[in-house]
Amino acid sequence: MKRRAFMLSTGIAAAGLALLPQIASAEEGRIDWYTGSDQNVMDFWTNIIQPQFEAANPGITLNLVDAGDNAGIIAIAERATAALASGADPQSDYFENHDPRLPAGAIENGLYVNIKEAGLSNYDKINPLAIDTDYSVPYRGSQVLLAYDTTKLDPADAPKTFADLVAWIKANPGEFIYNRPDKGGSGGNFVRRAIYEVNGNDPAAFTVDNFTDESSETMLEPAWALLQDLAPSLFDGGSYTSGNTQSIQLLSQSAVTMIPAWSDQALQAISTGVLPETTGLVQLSDLGLPGGFSRSVILANGTNRDAALKLADFILTEDIQSAVLTELGGFPGVSWDYVSPELREKFADVIPASIPVFPGGDWEVAINDGWYRNVAPNVDRSQ
Amino acid sequence: MPASDIVGRARGRVPTGLLLVAPPVALVCWMIIWPIFSAIARTLWLPDPEGGRQLSVATYTFFFTDSYSLNNLAITLWTTGVCAAFLLPICLSIALYLRFADGKLAAYVQGLAIFPMFVPSIILSYALIRVLGPNGTVDLLLNSVGLPKINTPYLTPWGPVIGLVWDNIPITVLILLSGLGAVSDQSIEAARDVGANRRSVFWHIILPRITNSILVAISFTVLGIFSAFTLPYVLGPAAPEMMGPFMQRTFRDLNDPTTAITQAVITFCFCIAFGIFYVRSVAKNRKA
Repeated sequence: MKRRAFMLSTGIAAAGLALLPQIASAEEGRIDWYTGSDQNVMDFWTNIIQPQFEAANPGITLNLVDAGDNAGIIAIAERATAALASGADPQSDYFENHDPRLPAGAIENGLYVNIKEAGLSNYDKINPLAIDTDYSVPYRGSQVLLAYDTTKLDPADAPKTFADLVAWIKANPGEFIYNRPDKGGSGGNFVRRAIYEVNGNDPAAFTVDNFTDESSETMLEPAWALLQDLAPSLFDGGSYTSGNTQSIQLLSQSAVTMIPAWSDQALQAISTGVLPETTGLVQLSDLGLPGGFSRSVILANGTNRDAALKLADFILTEDIQSAVLTELGGFPGVSWDYVSPELREKFADVIPASIPVFPGGDWEVAINDGWYRNVAPNVDRSQ
Repeated sequence: MPASDIVGRARGRVPTGLLLVAPPVALVCWMIIWPIFSAIARTLWLPDPEGGRQLSVATYTFFFTDSYSLNNLAITLWTTGVCAAFLLPICLSIALYLRFADGKLAAYVQGLAIFPMFVPSIILSYALIRVLGPNGTVDLLLNSVGLPKINTPYLTPWGPVIGLVWDNIPITVLILLSGLGAVSDQSIEAARDVGANRRSVFWHIILPRITNSILVAISFTVLGIFSAFTLPYVLGPAAPEMMGPFMQRTFRDLNDPTTAITQAVITFCFCIAFGIFYVRSVAKNRKA
């Protein structure tokens, strides 16, 4: 009898413990920061921004959390929306890179801080080209370029136009690979550059609003034909890596000669020795491979909203913006006038004259699905 | 103590046993059974143009008429079948060796066989690219003795097969080993005494005793492999893709939850068939 009573009580206690909601709350003075970006961005924040910011602002600390990917950030934003409705604590203050239009209606609901009206002392320095909405702080840019092995390809012979690139890929079968367009921006923007190529190299032809089923068919079909035509000349007769990092791994193992890569990831890989010193970088001069700016967003209902605004102002200072160039290999979110002339000179390669930015939304879905159905399977492995 | 005392239903006492199993059963109903029915309902009860909802099998018709989706299902079945075909002989021989051998070497073999259990699959994936990928360790070793490079399995359907087989060795070996524990030394010695050779000892003495364990091991690994995600995602080809990555991509990248849930229901139907094997062999065990 005693044993049964004991089991009963422990069983109920254990069940009760398991059913108790997990209680966690934001801490005053600790900014809950989330990113969906790659590891190099996380490293940049951990090693550069966090120590400098915490030294400059005693009493404020950063809690850097990797949310995995953009969908992970959206999930946290949805949680914050629910918290906003119920007046609860969203347990998040700052998104490193996020589109404030998401989740739908977030701006109208007042989920994010209006940065333009928040009175940041450095707001005027932001490059006007980079500003997307009043609700985000563009602080770093990045663009896809071509990374190649200079021991196998003389920089003088590196392709300068998309037509040159296609000719080079066909002349050197098995030496080029790009990743699946939904699994990382380097392959995704290579595919988008191919789409520009068959549509007169006019980035203005694609906007968030001009997507229709017909327009996507007429504009995307020729690109699938172009990419299918390339497939037999790619690595292993038409293989596609499953991410930016895997492409860099293949280049570093000398399995291929050229890959499309994010400028910041490639420069960091070279500086850490993941890619050898002999890696060359080149941007197409007829129309660059697309890229874009990363924009931080601050939650209006976050416990540490004011501290988060200080952080947003801090990342626009010349020190951090120079570090974006030197340490991260991105380009600054502020106008080039606010970067030292030596740096401007030194990083002329990654300073873009213009960055084509491909719209997301329905186009993104059509490109992802279309590529998987039209380009990925039709591989003749006998070649 | 009589069984009725443990179950606790005799003489109107508190039904302790039932109370103890109630939380896990409730949890299973809430977290597993309910989502299954809700998923099936959501794929069959689709929105119609008038804004209401109506019964429709359109998403299933699409899946079974779409060659892209069918190819993905086929590669999943192929990968599962090939993995099971490799796993069984490999793990059975390791388990037999561990059952009958002792000494230092056996301890090392056991350690090696259990090791994959402690390696996260994402780390395994990148390690396999390093080792078996183009210009990887194997290529370097072959090259150093003047042999040609291997035809790398990376980004082909064989990539995930190699990874999944390695990853599933520990659980399969452990299940088979526990089954082999039921084979007594005396019965084998008795068979040997009457002149049975190794093959007939295995066939007539060992195998009948571990059929259940083999069924359990196969259904366990098959269930895991069928819904595998990381290894096929990183090591496999872009297309055809296994159901795991396919579902995730449909759900997140194509923002199409209904189609993704349809794929999940179809995957679940295949898994339930393997699950029935498992439940039946467990039930048989109970009776015995």
